[in-house]
Amino acid sequence: MKKLITVLALGAVTAASLSACGSNSDNNTNDTANSGGDKASKITVWAWDPNFNIKAMNLAKDAYATTNPDLTVDVVENAQNDIVQKLNTGMSSGTTKGLPNIVLIEDYRAQSFLQAYPDMFYDLSSVIKSTDFADYKLGPTSVDGKYYGVPFDSGVTGLYVRTDYLEKAGYTMDDLQDITWDQYIEIGKKVKEATGKDWISLDPNDLGIIRMMIQSAGSWYMNEDGKTPNIANNAAMKEAFEVYKNMMDANIVKPNSDWSQYVSYFNTGDVASVPTGNWFTPSITAEASQSGKWAIAPIPKLAKTPNSVHATNLGGSSWYVLNVPGKEAAAEFLKSTLASDSDLYQKLVTDVGAIGTYKPATSGEAYTATNEFFGGQKIVQDFAKWTNEIPSVNYGMNTYAIEDILVVKMQDYLNGKSIDDVLKDAQSQADAQVK
Amino acid sequence: MRNVLDRFKYNGLFVKMFIIMVVSIVAVSITTTWMTINISGRVFMETFSITNSKITTQIRSGMDSFNYSIVLTSNKIAQSGVIKQFLTEGSGDSNSMASSYFQMGQQMNRIRSSVDAYDIGITVTGVNGRRYSTDRSYWPVPDDALGNHPITKRALAEPRKLMYSYDDAETSGIPGIDPTIIASKALVDRSGVVYGMMYFAVREPYFARFYDSNTSLGNDVAILDKRGTIVSSNRNDWLGQCSPELLHDAEAIEENNLDYKNANIMGKDHLLLSEQIVGLDLYMVNVIDKKEVLGQLTDTKQIALVVMAIVIVAVIIVFLISRRMTKSLTRLVKQISTISKYEFDRHVKVDGSYETRQLGLAFNAMMDELNDYVGRLVETQKQQRNAELEALQQQINPHFIYNTLASVKFMVQQGNKEKAAETINALISLLQNAIGNVSEMITVQQELDNMKNYVFINQVRYGERIRVSYFIAPDCLDYRIPKLMIQPFIENAFFHAFNEKSEGYIYIMVAQEGSSLVCEVVDNGDGMNINGGIPKQVSKRQLFSGIGVRNVNDRIKLLFGEEYGVTITSEIREGTRVKIRIPLLKPNNGPNF
Repeated sequence: MKKLITVLALGAVTAASLSACGSNSDNNTNDTANSGGDKASKITVWAWDPNFNIKAMNLAKDAYATTNPDLTVDVVENAQNDIVQKLNTGMSSGTTKGLPNIVLIEDYRAQSFLQAYPDMFYDLSSVIKSTDFADYKLGPTSVDGKYYGVPFDSGVTGLYVRTDYLEKAGYTMDDLQDITWDQYIEIGKKVKEATGKDWISLDPNDLGIIRMMIQSAGSWYMNEDGKTPNIANNAAMKEAFEVYKNMMDANIVKPNSDWSQYVSYFNTGDVASVPTGNWFTPSITAEASQSGKWAIAPIPKLAKTPNSVHATNLGGSSWYVLNVPGKEAAAEFLKSTLASDSDLYQKLVTDVGAIGTYKPATSGEAYTATNEFFGGQKIVQDFAKWTNEIPSVNYGMNTYAIEDILVVKMQDYLNGKSIDDVLKDAQSQADAQVK
Repeated sequence: MRNVLDRFKYNGLFVKMFIIMVVSIVAVSITTTWMTINISGRVFMETFSITNSKITTQIRSGMDSFNYSIVLTSNKIAQSGVIKQFLTEGSGDSNSMASSYFQMGQQMNRIRSSVDAYDIGITVTGVNGRRYSTDRSYWPVPDDALGNHPITKRALAEPRKLMYSYDDAETSGIPGIDPTIIASKALVDRSGVVYGMMYFAVREPYFARFYDSNTSLGNDVAILDKRGTIVSSNRNDWLGQCSPELLHDAEAIEENNLDYKNANIMGKDHLLLSEQIVGLDLYMVNVIDKKEVLGQLTDTKQIALVVMAIVIVAVIIVFLISRRMTKSLTRLVKQISTISKYEFDRHVKVDGSYETRQLGLAFNAMMDELNDYVGRLVETQKQQRNAELEALQQQINPHFIYNTLASVKFMVQQGNKEKAAETINALISLLQNAIGNVSEMITVQQELDNMKNYVFINQVRYGERIRVSYFIAPDCLDYRIPKLMIQPFIENAFFHAFNEKSEGYIYIMVAQEGSSLVCEVVDNGDGMNINGGIPKQVSKRQLFSGIGVRNVNDRIKLLFGEEYGVTITSEIREGTRVKIRIPLLKPNNGPNF
């Protein structure tokens, strides 16, 4: 048991494995997923982040309640690590007791669950219309052509930039519209020269930026099969590593050790740009004094990798229905809300700031609204547009395990080892580990 | 009021007995109950404190190993050059900084594994303003607030000591902090210069698990630091409170090596068990609400109700039994007390309990015997008196006979033969009637004849200066009277009434008055001084028989009762009236003596 948990925990980069003794206090709330699948009166939902996912699910719940008052939806907050642990524990033991009807799973991890426990998830192929959702979301949520998840938030990325710093260096936002990462570094150098501010902040233990870069080129840590590590011969990866090193060498990087520090750098104005997921918007807008000083440009692309585009993804998750009593009611609930309700998606944008991946919703009012914080930019529309351009990749089962290897290898590379050797080493290590 | 007093007088025994019994029963019940509860409470507390100290030992070992993990980790952090460098170096270029951050991350990941078993968030800060947290969610203090945080200040005051403190949003004023226990220690280099701080944050509910299983309703645990702040408790409302009195009690228990201590906390009686957790420099205090805990052990209310029921039943039984016992006794006493002086023939009712029945029987038997005895005594006395009277009656005075015969002799000598024969005849018939059974009743007619004969003889002897007249109601002639009843009074009148007057009359009247027969002897002689009384016996010489005036009265009273008898009224120089009253006795129907 402990071993299993430890193995899983290793897969997490920032997630601590401390939760091995995590809380079980929520268990009793979840026992109510009662039998008799046809007419459940109550379903339970597990999610993390009360300001984002929980809030969004509650909106869906309210929307559903207006037409189906009989169904009680119990939204329970659990830490993501706890959810992962509980799902693993419950599913591997084969008991569904205590598990929720609906659960939120991060896209990077989805395949590890869907493939490890194929019987535990309820087929939602009849519930969602796959063409309604962004293509890149369908890969992680499906297995063998069957759709098991209702795609939720988009992890579409953009380049958040402090326009005032940019102007001091003699640039405008127009100069950032169609750039490569190399150009991005050059501009960063100028900005640092002009303002003394670092251009970007990176956590050396988290290779999110590498993931963004390679997905923009339709590449991933693994091959299309989702199992074979794809490192040594991965041109996109090679270029991404080079870009990473160039950033370091350009001395425009302010390292951080965790999320709070990361956010604080931008709120204090120490760092001038952030290439990251759209879910970062609330963190930026939290510092009201910087209103009007930010803008969002398309993400830079890799120069040498031909199919790289100005759109990629970071993070994002989807809803899954577990194969437990009450699954029909849960599926019905998702079908009427997150799988078809455009109005609900408008609300998610306005109330939660969550940009969905449901295509029909993009024409709604909320998507076309302007945002004064970002100088009147129609940021939601931009993000929605980029969402549709995100190349689809298979996140496979071992994203985090391979990233752990890469984190170390990156340091080797930064310390002067040749890129080919580094990637080769990483490849062989990954081959040995994730087999 | 009087009624009540009367009732009390008669029921005094019952009331006293009952009150004593009730008071005893109640006293015994209350004492027993109180002692039982008290003893069981004390026994429970003793046992409880023993059990508790065993559990405490387990808890302490749990906490000790927790503390040991933290100590080990803190040592690793303190000894790590990478960490020291990270916390002390100035900012360099991106590459060196990134490398430093990376190394730091790797190092901390390794170090963290020694506290893997616990949910702990580690934060280290350095003099260069850098901070590294394994998980900020445990203790989300902003970077700028950490330097001035009281925990930091305290740790800096004693840089070599690992100390446990409590923090929450209220304590530190930083929003979003849940109740958390922070183990903090300064990072000091060899020369004694502080180069950073480390904080181990564990959420209070997680820490509370060490002892949570040992808590229950009324049995609370508070973990106190050395300043009296409650850093952890199963009672959320105690968290972060400063309780100097609890600390004082804990120290007292520690100093005096007590098993437990009674204390009044928040106005309630509490039992305190305290254990010093040396490694953590904390006190673990078990606060046991005696009332609550004992309330679970002994349902005082129910015991009181049961005892009350028993007491009530006992009192009712005592009431009924003692009532039954004393009631018959009381009734007996009441009956006895109403029996008046001479009513020896009255019996008491025999009932009630065995004792009372025996008492009643004995009393009745005694009464019977007494009655019997008194009856016999009276009878004996009567017989004695009768015998006496009889004897007296039979004694016809010899002087009377001499004198009469002497008179007759003179008559014969004078040649008055006829008168002498008449006198002899009168004496004969007088003697005839007089001698014989004294108890014999004779008719008024016969008595009249006797009186006439007697009067005749006296007149013969003393002349006819005293005349006697008879007024006898004809309807009375047949009634019976005791023999020689009237004669003594006539005799008395003859010899005493006419000492001064030379002549006079004596009237003899017999008449029926109601249901009595009244005989009166009235004279118009000298009269006497005594009124109502009966004069003393005169010289025996002149008397006809041994029966005197006094005897007559006694005899009548003896025969017929107190309401009958002789009354005499007299006035000097006017005369004397003697009134004899006896019941009407039909012929041949009276008592025959």
